[in-house]
Amino acid sequence: MVTTTLIILAVFAAAFVAFAVWDVVRAKKKREKYRVGSTVTAYLMLLPAILLAFLFILLPILYSLGYAFTDFFILTPNDINFVGFDNFATAFKEIGDKGMLYHAIINTLIFVVGVVPLQIGLALGLAVFVNRKKRGVKIFKVCFFAPVVISLSVTSFLWLEILSPASTGLLNSFLGMFGIPPHDWLRDPNTAMLCIIILSAWQGCGYQMLIFLSGLTNIRNELYEAASLDGAGAWSKFVHVTLPGLRSTLVFVIITVFIGACRVMVQPMIMVGYQEHVVTLSYYMYQQGYEFRWVGYSSAIALLMTLVIGTITLIQRRILREK
Amino acid sequence: MNKFFKAVAAVALGTVMMCGFAACGGGEGVGGTDAEGNKIVKIMVHVDESTAEGKAYKKRVDAFNAAYKEQKIKASITFKARTTGVGGYESVITNKFAEGTLDDIIAFDAPNCAAYADKHILYDISEIDPAETQSKFYSTSLNTYDGKLYGLPIQESSAGIYYNKSILNAAGVDVSSYTVDNPWTFEQFEAVCKKLKDAGKTPLDLQLYNARDEMAPYLLYPFIYAAGGEFTSADGLTATGYMNSDKTKSGFEFLKGLVEKGYTSNAAGPVGATDFFDGKVAMYLSSGWTIPDLDNKYPAVFGNHDRNTWGLLPYPMKEQKASATGSWSFGITNNGVKDKSAAKELLLWMTSPESSKVITDATGMIPARTDVETNYAAGSPEDVLMQQLSKTGKARPATVAYPNFSSNFCSVIYSFATQQTAATCNLTDVLNSRTNELQAEMNKHSKH
Repeated sequence: MVTTTLIILAVFAAAFVAFAVWDVVRAKKKREKYRVGSTVTAYLMLLPAILLAFLFILLPILYSLGYAFTDFFILTPNDINFVGFDNFATAFKEIGDKGMLYHAIINTLIFVVGVVPLQIGLALGLAVFVNRKKRGVKIFKVCFFAPVVISLSVTSFLWLEILSPASTGLLNSFLGMFGIPPHDWLRDPNTAMLCIIILSAWQGCGYQMLIFLSGLTNIRNELYEAASLDGAGAWSKFVHVTLPGLRSTLVFVIITVFIGACRVMVQPMIMVGYQEHVVTLSYYMYQQGYEFRWVGYSSAIALLMTLVIGTITLIQRRILREK
Repeated sequence: MNKFFKAVAAVALGTVMMCGFAACGGGEGVGGTDAEGNKIVKIMVHVDESTAEGKAYKKRVDAFNAAYKEQKIKASITFKARTTGVGGYESVITNKFAEGTLDDIIAFDAPNCAAYADKHILYDISEIDPAETQSKFYSTSLNTYDGKLYGLPIQESSAGIYYNKSILNAAGVDVSSYTVDNPWTFEQFEAVCKKLKDAGKTPLDLQLYNARDEMAPYLLYPFIYAAGGEFTSADGLTATGYMNSDKTKSGFEFLKGLVEKGYTSNAAGPVGATDFFDGKVAMYLSSGWTIPDLDNKYPAVFGNHDRNTWGLLPYPMKEQKASATGSWSFGITNNGVKDKSAAKELLLWMTSPESSKVITDATGMIPARTDVETNYAAGSPEDVLMQQLSKTGKARPATVAYPNFSSNFCSVIYSFATQQTAATCNLTDVLNSRTNELQAEMNKHSKH
């Protein structure tokens, strides 16, 4: 593994140096004397960031790509064999047999379909709510943003208390006041994913709220004034002024929330565990690679997941692009 | 100016690349000697140095170094606390193994023996004198795989049913006749639960809320063996027909029945992790590590070292007696060092009667050796656990697919862990589904 890493690093370093030299030579040919120095300086300044990106982003991706076609088992790191598309065949067989991977895909889909509109809707609503110059708005901003800075693990544990199956649990005791019997929210396949969706949207929407807020400040007040003169109400102004004004922000938010939603893992892991009704693709991948030790198979799932997310993201961009 | 920048660029690039090479190729070697000519033997343990257990290991390593000074063997101990669970410690083992820097001796959790042995991380130590050494350990505690010995236990653990004497007395329940030699049956166990429930008490905490990690398999697998069930074939590569057999199902059915009848719930819902210690639950399935807790931590309910307030009963039986075993062990590794003589000396030292005594005194666990002097009173909780180990102990299944087995076992328990889910759980479907999952994993191992 060390040898392979060194070879990849050497190739990468050689490419980097070659590109830098080519850039300098090209500048020299154009007699841009000043540019030669500044180019070298620029490359030197880029070097640490590029090296870190290489070590912690590019290298793992390359390794993962390679491992996807091997039988890498974590306890036999010195005995890795090329197996072609066997891992992908195993994955498709598991989907066909309605195994854990099948449930992981279904649960991830449910989560994405649920959390993306909910989280974005909440974030947009909150952004519009706090985008007013009134007393006390800053307190709301802080309150809405607070869950973002709390770790997902911590919020998951907090929600475990809220959703406790005991009649003394926070939610159950509240519902008990209306005569509703206690419910085991996280064990019930009908409610577990819903709870995780609500928790995730609540935890994450504060961040998108800030992004929407910055987008809202770019919409000129004259547009709202003109709309008022035309007799537009609050809803009409929101639909015909605010939303078009936020179009590029919205595209960015939809794509980032979608990608984040596809990677959900911490909440089901902490709140329920590796169970059919909440397992997600990332959780399945983690379990296969880390707990069950099949790094090759886990990498194949990661590759499939990347391809699917990448394709959907491209489709989203195409649909939502500016006309 | 250009020359200057080129020179700076070359030096910077070279430096960064050297750093990268150094970072990638680092790591201390194994199997060496120090400046004084001592042969260095490295040992890695799973706890922090500051803990009582860590201090005990350190004490015994220091004693080894003093005793083997003449022979020029020196032990060096590394502490890798399980800050991120057993998986985190395991990744240290696999990373070091991949780098070729794995310590000569490692501590490992007993269920991992099969995988480590199968993948040649552990060294075969079958040659260790069976009469002189191996026979001194409880046979179920020895870490064997495929007929070979791969590890010696540091200590042992067993579990049982703790009970609150005042609750049982108030309900008019007498359990004094149940011993390891004459354990209660499933029916008697259930009858006690019913009597407690009828008396308005919450009968039992089986720790079903822990059905997401190794705790659930560790505590509950003896019920399945007691019902005559099994989990895997002897080679650990077949689950179909074992994990979903009728007898295995009957063991799980018994547990499910206890939940369904409300013996593990109270008015507020499923019992919580502290209910037994708060005096709200009559009986509690747990391991030996609960003994010091009951002695020291809950004086309001169990007094201070007041053994008259609580007791410990063996696992109930149906077709056969069975009880939980398995703790951490030491094993020699295949780390490229050919001469294992020094490692064997240290292994035998760290699992000797003296070490066993020092370590178990620190941890409160039970010695895995039969020749360690213990002063447990007859019928005391410690004595019950010791007797279980020697008479009814049965190890968890030895399979390379153990992590998957553990996960699937948890899923079965999870499916009926509350009264609500137990009422709707179709155990046959669950067992078939989980068995298929485990079998698929075992098939992968067969091919690998």
